[in-house]
Amino acid sequence: MLKKNYVRLFVFACLLGGLLLTAQNAVTADTHFEKLRLESAKIKTMQADFTQKKFMKILSRPLVSEGRFYYDAPDSFRWEYMTPLRSVVISRSNKTRRFIYSDGKMVEDKSGGAQGMQIVLNDVSGWISGRFDQNPSFNASITEGVNTTITLTPAEKNMAGFIQKIEIVLSPKTATVQSVKIIEDANTFTHIEFHNVQTNKIINPAVFQDVR
Amino acid sequence: MKNFLCLLLMAFVMACQSLPTIHPSGSGEIHFDCADPFTKHPYRFVHAIEARMPGDVRSSVIGITLVEPAGRFISCAIITAEGMTLWEAESSASGTIIHRALPPFDSARVSQNMLEDIKLVFLPPQGQLYQKGYLSDESKVCRYQEENGDWVDVKENKSGNVEIGLYSSSGALKRQILFKKIAKDIYQSIELQADAIFDYLLLMTLIDAQPIEQESKVNANID
Repeated sequence: MLKKNYVRLFVFACLLGGLLLTAQNAVTADTHFEKLRLESAKIKTMQADFTQKKFMKILSRPLVSEGRFYYDAPDSFRWEYMTPLRSVVISRSNKTRRFIYSDGKMVEDKSGGAQGMQIVLNDVSGWISGRFDQNPSFNASITEGVNTTITLTPAEKNMAGFIQKIEIVLSPKTATVQSVKIIEDANTFTHIEFHNVQTNKIINPAVFQDVR
Repeated sequence: MKNFLCLLLMAFVMACQSLPTIHPSGSGEIHFDCADPFTKHPYRFVHAIEARMPGDVRSSVIGITLVEPAGRFISCAIITAEGMTLWEAESSASGTIIHRALPPFDSARVSQNMLEDIKLVFLPPQGQLYQKGYLSDESKVCRYQEENGDWVDVKENKSGNVEIGLYSSSGALKRQILFKKIAKDIYQSIELQADAIFDYLLLMTLIDAQPIEQESKVNANID
């Protein structure tokens, strides 16, 4: 009987401790996220090259893709892969289209893949504007160190089945996204690194409309 | 009456489907080795795959295939250009394991069909050689009958391209695979045409091919 009560007390103490710790972290995290939002509000446009490495158990070496992305606040996006598979996703005013290279030209992918990308791109736009903790599908936490790392974990069990977590590393100077790691399971993850980042440089609007 | 006529027409069409006729050469002699495009050693292939579906719908993904011909072991994955793993499965003599299947690959039938397509491309037929000879276009053909009654024709046309045809036991064409002879590697450019309830064409372009060393193969597959 006594042992049972101890167990209950232990569990209660752990839960209470956990709740207090979480609450304290939440206050700190909220402050950090607010700071990031203020920093990111200064970013009106952004463009960068990126290198994407896909790691899987089936691959002996990562599958490397390279491309370029453009962002114009609040919702214009172009995510373009040059190698090994040419494809472009453009998004403007909440309309997302995906193009693939076929028969020597870029043709629109009407299979429905772009709709899935729209959800992802909305998140990426959110990250660029510092809204890391605004997507109800993910719980966001922040770790300050040499770099600031945001960790997003799926709030719903359904999503946890295919994404374990997302780690976003921010540049210490500019608070722009430096790298993104999308972890699907213990053996499978995608790491995207951004290079040659330029912010607040005018981008031709055609970039978000034309695909050739 | 209308339905009856439709059924009659379908029965007539089905009855008309038959395997291509194989005949001996002009001299009546058959002296050639059967075309053998299949990998002989464990290999890992990475292909860009363009899928063309009815209504001129086109999409592209990346396919990774690890083949170990001796054990008829296949491990494969389909990922989007953006890196998301849509489908991951493996097949061996002991059965099939689906590790991950997201839409539109989230049905057992789709997974099974995909594995069968991959085996048809990379592994030789399991059935016995049934007939050998020439088609009307003078392609050399070797015909195998599989255990389930399906027929597999492995043919080499006059320009040296290798083709595989999969037919049902009644002779209906189910799959056509063309290995385009545009480079040294036979897996450089592959076209797979599926004639099924849902027709599709896959255009596969090789991104990378690596022989699998024993050590890395073990690391890659067995934990």
